[in-house]
Amino acid sequence: MSSQNGNGSKGISLGALARRPETGSLIGFIVVYIFFAVLGGPVFLGLPGWSSWLNIAAEVGIIALPVGLLMIAGEFDISVGSIVPAASMMTAMLGGHYDAPAIVAILAGLGVGLTIGLVNGLLVTRTTIPSLIVTIGVMFAVMGLTLGFAVLVKGSTSVSYVPDPLTKSLMGQFVKGFSVSIFWWLGLVAVFFYALHVSPWGNWIFAIGGDKESARNAGIPTSQMTIALFMASGFCAALVGVLQVMTYQQAQVAGGQAFIFNSIMCVVIGGVLLTGGAGSIIGILLGTMTFAVVNQGIFFAGLDPNIQFIITGALLLAAVLSNDRFRAMATSAAAKK
Amino acid sequence: MTMMKTLMIATTTALMATSAMAADIFVVGGKPDDPFWSRVKMGAEDAGKVAEAQGGSVTWLGPQNYDNLGPDAAELIRQAIDQGADAIVGPNWVPEAMDSAFEAVVAAGIPLVIYNAGGIEAADRLGALNYVGAVDYKSGYAGGEYLAKAGHTNGACVNTLPGAANIEAFCSGFNDGLAENGGTGSVLQLPATAFGDSTAVAQAVRAHLLQNPDITAMFAIGDQDSNATISGIQQAGKTGSVHVCGMNFNDSILANIKAGTQACAIDQQGYQQGFFAVSILNNHVMYGTTIPTREILTGPGVIDASNVDLVIAGVEAGAR
Repeated sequence: MSSQNGNGSKGISLGALARRPETGSLIGFIVVYIFFAVLGGPVFLGLPGWSSWLNIAAEVGIIALPVGLLMIAGEFDISVGSIVPAASMMTAMLGGHYDAPAIVAILAGLGVGLTIGLVNGLLVTRTTIPSLIVTIGVMFAVMGLTLGFAVLVKGSTSVSYVPDPLTKSLMGQFVKGFSVSIFWWLGLVAVFFYALHVSPWGNWIFAIGGDKESARNAGIPTSQMTIALFMASGFCAALVGVLQVMTYQQAQVAGGQAFIFNSIMCVVIGGVLLTGGAGSIIGILLGTMTFAVVNQGIFFAGLDPNIQFIITGALLLAAVLSNDRFRAMATSAAAKK
Repeated sequence: MTMMKTLMIATTTALMATSAMAADIFVVGGKPDDPFWSRVKMGAEDAGKVAEAQGGSVTWLGPQNYDNLGPDAAELIRQAIDQGADAIVGPNWVPEAMDSAFEAVVAAGIPLVIYNAGGIEAADRLGALNYVGAVDYKSGYAGGEYLAKAGHTNGACVNTLPGAANIEAFCSGFNDGLAENGGTGSVLQLPATAFGDSTAVAQAVRAHLLQNPDITAMFAIGDQDSNATISGIQQAGKTGSVHVCGMNFNDSILANIKAGTQACAIDQQGYQQGFFAVSILNNHVMYGTTIPTREILTGPGVIDASNVDLVIAGVEAGAR
């Protein structure tokens, strides 16, 4: 799909294509898709199958984009797992419990994500604590606050909210089985593609991930950039929370934890280097699609769902190995010329 | 001077009395942010008000998550022993992992009540005073029976916590409830990470329904899963033809039943489980009383369109 846009603009030669970092992710996606197409049959190949895995891909994909950018910049964000329920609780609480207008509820939900992102960014840039630890700490703090806040205000751990028809159609609707969150996801793919591959910020992000000290010495505002990235991941996680409220018309203080590892998984399968400095939006997109196909293909194929973990684990390892291989190919090819 | 002395004696006697007589009760249960368990916890704490008035206490111990349920819960039971519990309440979710911890409680001479999961068999086997809770099998059976009698005879139970004894019992009860009323049942197994992730549950239900078009009845093991299952049915374009019963309820489940998108909810009345388990133990520690009725059933109760308004009134009154 959109991967062709990424490759098409460059001169097409088989060797150059094989050396592109996304190639491994693309091959992975095709292999996995064919595997489940054979087992899942016509329903999986048809529109219901596509909408089924795209719905899963959309939510984890929205979070995987900024998590991927952070990883390219050499940082982790674990707190996304608690931002999803925190934002959905804020939105449902304002909209459902206090009857605030939908736009206020949505902005407040997104504001929760931006604020937590800001806190993450400040803690990471102002202290020497690694972002992995900072965001784990923030995750637990946010989980506790969400629970305490919900029980204090509502006396319950779940809040229901019936959005008005316009809001519902923009954020919580299904069109022929396709969730509107897929369109939000694709819109964000375009935004993040621009940010990483077109605008100057992209080079800054790669530079920060490659060598933070040199990047700072070269005049790149590394701290501001890191804070902005954490706010982006807070915002995107909050958006997923808001979309979930609009879809399921209910917010729960629990849930969202699965997004932590799932988003990292999508990003790594998509060829982003764990140590930072390398990766692409097309790769993250393909990684997310691969992850979602495995996730949903299991149910169409009628396999034991636990096999999903085995396949996801194997994919992850294969992705990391093939990334190294493709990177080695790319460097040696460049050296010869 | 004499007044001071009298006061001091009075205080000392009071202190001695509390330390000798008070019951520090430890309750092992689910995550405090789990909607169902927050109601159990409230029941336990409300019963705990009596214990507190007598100088005792109620402490809630819950796991951080359900990824490693059996061993984590067993660890919490051992923690309760180590913290000097006078009485312990716990669910027998995963007997293989938890039985030895419960045996350690009884061996230490600490009165024990099993609640929520395990049934009277677990209480007898482990030497507990009593069992307080719904019988999971009967809860599932009630759901299967209800849907089969309404004419929806091909059913699937959505199991988002495979391996947990009470969830397996819901599903086998549901399938037997269908089978003994002329239907057939199966189980849709989800990976444990899907628990609490509505989108994952909804998409799994949808895929399963598309691949198995004969299914017309579904059973969800909790209120959040019920909402997700209903969404999955809507996305599969099967609203009105596939009917759902689910365990437990909350505001949105009651709204579903009123709107007709959910056929029934099976209530095990979690508040009662926490309340009676703590109450029985507090009275036992304080006064040596026992409840001769063994197996205190708190469920199943079926909530459907016929009685949903009464239940909503009960929720508004704070009683459910």
